Amino acid sequence: MNPLFLSRRAFLRNTSLVSAAAAFPAILPSRMFGQTAPSKKITIGFIGTGNIAQGHLETLLGFDDVRILAVCDVDKTHRDLAAAKVNTGYGNRDCAAYNDFRELTARPDIDAVMVCTPDNWHALNAIEAMRNGKDVYVEKPLTLTIEEGRALVAAARKYGRVAQTGTQQRSSRRFHDTAEFIRNGGMGKLSRIEILIPANNKYVGANWKPEAVPAGLDWDLWVGPAPFQPYTRQGCHYNFRFILDYAAGQVTNWGAHYIDIAQWALGMDESGPVEVVGDGEFPTTGLFSTATKVDFTCRYASGVTLRCRTRYDGISDGNVRFFGDRGWVDVSRSASKASGPELLKEIAAQAGKGAVKLPVSLNHHDNFLQAIRTRGRPISDVEFGHRTTSICNLGNIAMQLKRPLKWDPVAERFTDDAVANRMRGRSMRGPWSLV
Amino acid sequence: MAEKSPARPPRVRSENDPFRAYEEQFVASPDPWAEIAKLDHGSDRTFGSTVRAMVMNAEPAQRPAMEAKLLAALAAPGLTPVGQLFVCRMLALIGTAKCVPAVAALLLDNATADAARFALDAIEDPAVDAAYRGALGKLGGNAKAGLIGSIAQRGDRGALEALKAMQADAKEPAAVRTAAARAVERLTAKS
Repeated sequence: MNPLFLSRRAFLRNTSLVSAAAAFPAILPSRMFGQTAPSKKITIGFIGTGNIAQGHLETLLGFDDVRILAVCDVDKTHRDLAAAKVNTGYGNRDCAAYNDFRELTARPDIDAVMVCTPDNWHALNAIEAMRNGKDVYVEKPLTLTIEEGRALVAAARKYGRVAQTGTQQRSSRRFHDTAEFIRNGGMGKLSRIEILIPANNKYVGANWKPEAVPAGLDWDLWVGPAPFQPYTRQGCHYNFRFILDYAAGQVTNWGAHYIDIAQWALGMDESGPVEVVGDGEFPTTGLFSTATKVDFTCRYASGVTLRCRTRYDGISDGNVRFFGDRGWVDVSRSASKASGPELLKEIAAQAGKGAVKLPVSLNHHDNFLQAIRTRGRPISDVEFGHRTTSICNLGNIAMQLKRPLKWDPVAERFTDDAVANRMRGRSMRGPWSLV
Repeated sequence: MAEKSPARPPRVRSENDPFRAYEEQFVASPDPWAEIAKLDHGSDRTFGSTVRAMVMNAEPAQRPAMEAKLLAALAAPGLTPVGQLFVCRMLALIGTAKCVPAVAALLLDNATADAARFALDAIEDPAVDAAYRGALGKLGGNAKAGLIGSIAQRGDRGALEALKAMQADAKEPAAVRTAAARAVERLTAKS
């Protein structure tokens, strides 16, 4: 089952809107008129319609220059709800609904795809979409492994596609201004960066038993390239992120946001640290396997260190604190803080005035759509998303191996550890492959 | 060199020795390397975690002995599919050419070929390429497509002609033909 390609006949047969004439003609994709034509709608499909996709759906329904044509989910309940939401938004019944993402990516009338599946699937979904000429918005963390991230970036370049990572903090003025301030030397010489991320969830000790797969859930396709494991409710929606075969826990769930801001402020968007050491704690039994205590430190060639660790104060947000000659500044989604009030005033006053001017985006979706029209790079280009996710994965590897590791950010290899190098990627269950 | 101490004879405890029960309990504690063969979905994986920690933290000089223990587990009577997959994934971390013959036997069955690749994909040894080529004619469907993907990722141009034939073989399912086409593209692009 799950052939990599679908014949045109199978594609039409499996499409919930059987009549191609009814499904396709109303909205023509932007590429038919030239992608820079401002009056043409950008047509979008969703792969994955659960938790995170709901916000994207609602936001994009509000864009006049966007038309959501199709949704895809291996869970019929999610799929039908998403299609209904789109149809309600447009006041029609045109939204197609697919179980298999390859049916959606095969549609010639879709310009761009939102990848909102579990992390385990991101690379395969996005690469297949780009292979079929779609631009992609890929939720964070960009990929499950370092090798998948590099493959995704390579595909974006090979096929000439716009590829935005869903690290939306880059489209927030608060984070932008702080990062730009640091880049322009506002803190003097930077010495270290401290990042706190929320604690793991309450199900950490869960034991489990295989359960009957609910009606309407294609469990085999949900598991996809990961080693097969029977269905259990606690190991499926949302909680997948606490199982290492599917995700990397809070290290990537929250780390992907705040490490991203550190990378931006350091000007390391296309590079990374040279050393990493970690001391995490992982559950030794039960369903969940990602770190319950995160604590790792990277060192960049400049000497700056970045420490990322779990917070235990109950706050459901992260924060990143930069330490330099002039004290510290701290930024999170809720507030900016500093060791002295003058620093916060300077950050606000100097935005856009320094020698280094970071690109400004005030809306992550709009930034993606603009990049599609102009064929430019979006603010969270996949290379940046890959480098940030790589640091999360470096930390995860170091925490498991519990020994210092040296990293070559150019070759994207550990220089001194064969086991660590083998942990940069993973094998995939057939028929799935990065090739 | 320091002089070796003479071997101490094993202690024999009397029936009334209060430490006897303690020692018996200690000796009776399961061997994690044996327990991993019994792993199942949803079962306690504490012993698996112990083995995983030992494998990950082993010094390079300790790894051959651990590889041998993993191979012993792979041959254990009553080995479960979950245990087999676990052992293969441990071999993915420290396996060498030494494990190829035992693991390659699993490549020949659609039901176990994925687990075998999980062990072998990471091993940079020509013996793996030879095993993969040898398995091409034995597998079908998704297992074969997955194997083809592994061959392409390893860059084994020695399989090119066989893959070209599969790409053009109308009797192969779409998954295999597509995997073969992509593999051929990858392998020829490197030349």
